[in-house]
Amino acid sequence: MIQPQTYLNVADNSGARKLMCIRIIGASNRRYAHIGDVIVAVIKEAIPNTPLERSEVIRAVIVRTCKELKRKNGTIIRYDDNAAVVIDQEGNPKGTRVFGAIPRELRQLNFTKIVSLAPEVL
Amino acid sequence: MASSTVAGALLTGGSRLPCSSSQIPRKLSSSSSSPLLCLNNGDLSAPYNSPLRLSRGRVQTTLRSNSKSLAVGKGAEDGFVSDVSEDSDEMFDDLFNKYGKVVYKSDDVKSPSAEVDDDAESLAFAVEMAKVASEVKAGDIKVLFVKPLVYWTRFFIITTAFSRPQIDAIGSRMRDLAEKKYGRVANGDVKPNAWTLLDYGDVVIHIFLPPQRTFYNLEDFYGNAMSVPLPFQDEPPPRS
Repeated sequence: MIQPQTYLNVADNSGARKLMCIRIIGASNRRYAHIGDVIVAVIKEAIPNTPLERSEVIRAVIVRTCKELKRKNGTIIRYDDNAAVVIDQEGNPKGTRVFGAIPRELRQLNFTKIVSLAPEVL
Repeated sequence: MASSTVAGALLTGGSRLPCSSSQIPRKLSSSSSSPLLCLNNGDLSAPYNSPLRLSRGRVQTTLRSNSKSLAVGKGAEDGFVSDVSEDSDEMFDDLFNKYGKVVYKSDDVKSPSAEVDDDAESLAFAVEMAKVASEVKAGDIKVLFVKPLVYWTRFFIITTAFSRPQIDAIGSRMRDLAEKKYGRVANGDVKPNAWTLLDYGDVVIHIFLPPQRTFYNLEDFYGNAMSVPLPFQDEPPPRS
């Protein structure tokens, strides 16, 4: 359950470290975002000497949430952190590798590029 | 008492039991001192011996049906039923010692031959797609067998196009062929993109512009994947 003002970790090597959600892309007054949703976020912390800088506004896809994700078969997935992957306007990831485990639901939501860069798909 | 019980059981339950299992207790009852134990062992080991892949649940149902028939034959004596349950525990222990633990398998697991068939089908599709890319002059086409590395797909096709119109051409040709010949529709990018991805489920096609190809470096990430040799790559380029 990501809402504006939520801080997220960055699960790729784009150079950003921490994001703060400022808007959820979707319906006009959407309250919460879940795994696979695109958000507009501001970079709160970044690694020095990388293309992304602090206070830059970017788009990101949520890949992990503390709020559990339920599947039709009864499986429930809950991660330890909220994390997102930075993407550009076309939907290509800004980093070249994704870290940590990500759920397979991202593939159904047309984020196969992120899935193919990930080391582990749950 | 015990012998009369067995006789009653055989008389009433005999018609329900299969031939082989009804014969076994008769043979054993003459030699063994406790005929009841032998009856149970003979009865219950019979289904286990013939189809070994029976699950435990099936064996248990067989046991219950037998004990029911025996109980009915005797008039449902409590002592008799408890004897059966004790014997069944021993029997399961024996069976576990003999055959090891019963392993449950889900029903949707494919047989190895069906798996190989599916692989071959995907390979044919992937090679066909790579051929289409080669016809539209895509560069550096690679078909990787990634099934051992990731569970969610079987083949990656990685190729370079040198401009967005060319990406569009490759993508639309691939979509047309897949739909006409194989009846498959791709997920993924619709518009030409610097990294265009077509997802056919078991085959995922990546079309890059040259800078993006070096930037993402997917071949390196899937470096352990087996590269499939392509038939058209051996041919020399046509002279103009």
